[in-house]
Amino acid sequence: MKTLLTIRENSYAWVTSALQGLAPLLLPICNKPFVEFLVDFAVLAGSREIRLLSDGPLQEVEQYCEDGSRWGVQMSYAHIKESDDHQTIFEKNRRFCNDSKVMVIDGFVFVGYDKKNDYRDLFNSMPDGTVASCTTGSIRLFTVSESNMANNDETPVSLTPIDSVESYYDLSMHILRHESSRYVLPGYGSEPDSYVGRNVTISKSAEIIKPVSIGNNVQILAGSVIGPDAVIGSNVIIDRKSRITESIVLDNTYIGEELDVEHKMANRNTLISPQGAVSIAMEDPHLLTGIKDTARGIGNLLRTIVHTLTAIVLILLLVIPFILITPILAVQGKWKSSRKTCYDHTCKGVISLPDVSIERSGPLSAIAFALSLDRLPTLFRVVGGKLSLIGNAPIAAEEKNLSPPAATPGYRPAVFSYAEAENWPVGGSDAAIVERFYAIHSNPLQDIGLTMKSLINRFHDTTTA
Amino acid sequence: MTLHLDTSTGKTIGVARIEGRLDATNSGILLQKFPEWLEQTNDFVFDCSALSFIDSSGLGAIVGCLRKALEKNGDLRLACLDPKVSMVFELTKAKQLFSIYHDCHEALDSFNTGKQQ
Amino acid sequence: MIIKETKLDNITIVAPVGTLDASTASLLNENKVLSETSATVVLDLSQVDFLDSSGLGALVGIARKKREKKADMVLTSMNDNVRKVFEITQAFQLFDVYDDARSAAEHCRTKTASQ
Repeated sequence: MKTLLTIRENSYAWVTSALQGLAPLLLPICNKPFVEFLVDFAVLAGSREIRLLSDGPLQEVEQYCEDGSRWGVQMSYAHIKESDDHQTIFEKNRRFCNDSKVMVIDGFVFVGYDKKNDYRDLFNSMPDGTVASCTTGSIRLFTVSESNMANNDETPVSLTPIDSVESYYDLSMHILRHESSRYVLPGYGSEPDSYVGRNVTISKSAEIIKPVSIGNNVQILAGSVIGPDAVIGSNVIIDRKSRITESIVLDNTYIGEELDVEHKMANRNTLISPQGAVSIAMEDPHLLTGIKDTARGIGNLLRTIVHTLTAIVLILLLVIPFILITPILAVQGKWKSSRKTCYDHTCKGVISLPDVSIERSGPLSAIAFALSLDRLPTLFRVVGGKLSLIGNAPIAAEEKNLSPPAATPGYRPAVFSYAEAENWPVGGSDAAIVERFYAIHSNPLQDIGLTMKSLINRFHDTTTA
Repeated sequence: MTLHLDTSTGKTIGVARIEGRLDATNSGILLQKFPEWLEQTNDFVFDCSALSFIDSSGLGAIVGCLRKALEKNGDLRLACLDPKVSMVFELTKAKQLFSIYHDCHEALDSFNTGKQQ
Repeated sequence: MIIKETKLDNITIVAPVGTLDASTASLLNENKVLSETSATVVLDLSQVDFLDSSGLGALVGIARKKREKKADMVLTSMNDNVRKVFEITQAFQLFDVYDDARSAAEHCRTKTASQ
């Protein structure tokens, strides 16, 4: 048997908005990523080949699962479109589905199973049709020659939708309290209901009350009380005399001293109450903060230096023509300067940028445009470290599109955009494609070349126009 | 942050409406004003219905006010905590220090009946 | 880069072989079936071993033009390297991607027939 997992982006959109910085398909449930539960189940049901399908990004999950050899299966990944129905999905993966019975697990749902049961023979002997379903998903079996579809009355597994902060919290707590023995949970479980990962330091005076699940690289300092019913993720510090009960502390979170976290979720500096999904981002680092992954730093520093130096060179080159030409254009009324507010690189704050438009008439404005003099005011922001030299076109912070940069990984607002360097239509939705390409594939030195390319492109546009 | 005196329940109670954010930038103002308020009465209700955010220095200021009111045998009670603000009170255990009411009337009445929540 | 063309049930399957980058993207743009006709085509990427932003730009451009003419270009048989470029750029949202050329061709035929 083979397994197709189809998980659509809109079914996990709530994770992206409520739990920032988490890859939805890797959402930890008792410290085990969501997708791994599905893989475990597919293996139990006798699958040797699993294909994960989504209309959203699969990058993180692919980095995590790789080729699946860890589970002794072959994993592959493919994309579908939002509008694709079951039939289309099947056709798009016909090569994969051929000659085999296929189990389709559809939706962002949790499959409740028991590792002690043998699902292999059961599923092989079941007729095609729906095995289990819930409001947001289903498990179905089919073979290529789709014929007699039957609904199975007795479902061997349960399905739970994970469609909100509350359902996620309830599911995690339910598994921790009642069902931890049914799944393979990560960590050293020397005793039941207590799972502890690698490199965990627990102070002698700290108290651990079962059931708990603790991830890797965790420090629990003196006098704190963990549990009952606590899920502590990886890379977490619980400071002195704090109490964590009936709560989930997600990865990379610091919980300050003498705090009382009860019936809550903590994700970096955000505290969330599962009921009604109320959340507050703490501004005091001694209460709650995110613990940074330190891996990124160096490359960014080099990039900043390269961008700043190049910007200084460009400013020196452009400043004389700027002084000569702009006053004349300004008098003629062809130099229109305003300000626009854009998201900064953190996607949370905003920066106010000069926004210059040059009326394209007459030789002087052509020269100004060819030399990109309109970008000179923003170049100073590169020296100030607020902008990159080349990167994404800054996204305007307007009321109506409050969260778009979050959807742009590696968003770096810049004077020049990669889309300009590649001569893609700037501003169109297609431009985002090339910007995402360079968000991954660019290096600081190549950035200089691409900046030159976008300068040349603008020069070229003017001379040929 | 202004105080008005409420005598509707027969007792003089200072009602202050705390609005917007209470953080490091404005918690000092509250701490400065409170001793002046204490000259007018000992019992207070802070109406927090329009308080949208509080950080630890804001929290510190409110706890400071409570201490001063208690020293003069008065009390400081809170009304209408926004769910977000309420979470900060819970997290830091400040919730245990205060009597917290759903609305201002309840808080005002509580001084008369002597009933504490 | 060379471009192979085969027909399957009246649907042309175009299969570029080699590297798809700035230097070869123009070959795709000059290809008649891809850029001139208003027929829905299948682009078989199984023999494309490398794709960069210029190559991707060519594919996006061709698909846009096809759609203006009420036709389409569907993709099939991407290898992992190529798929990863579509993945990080989220360009997959613009395309229908099949794992098998035959079912892609069938899809094109039903699509052409319904018009």
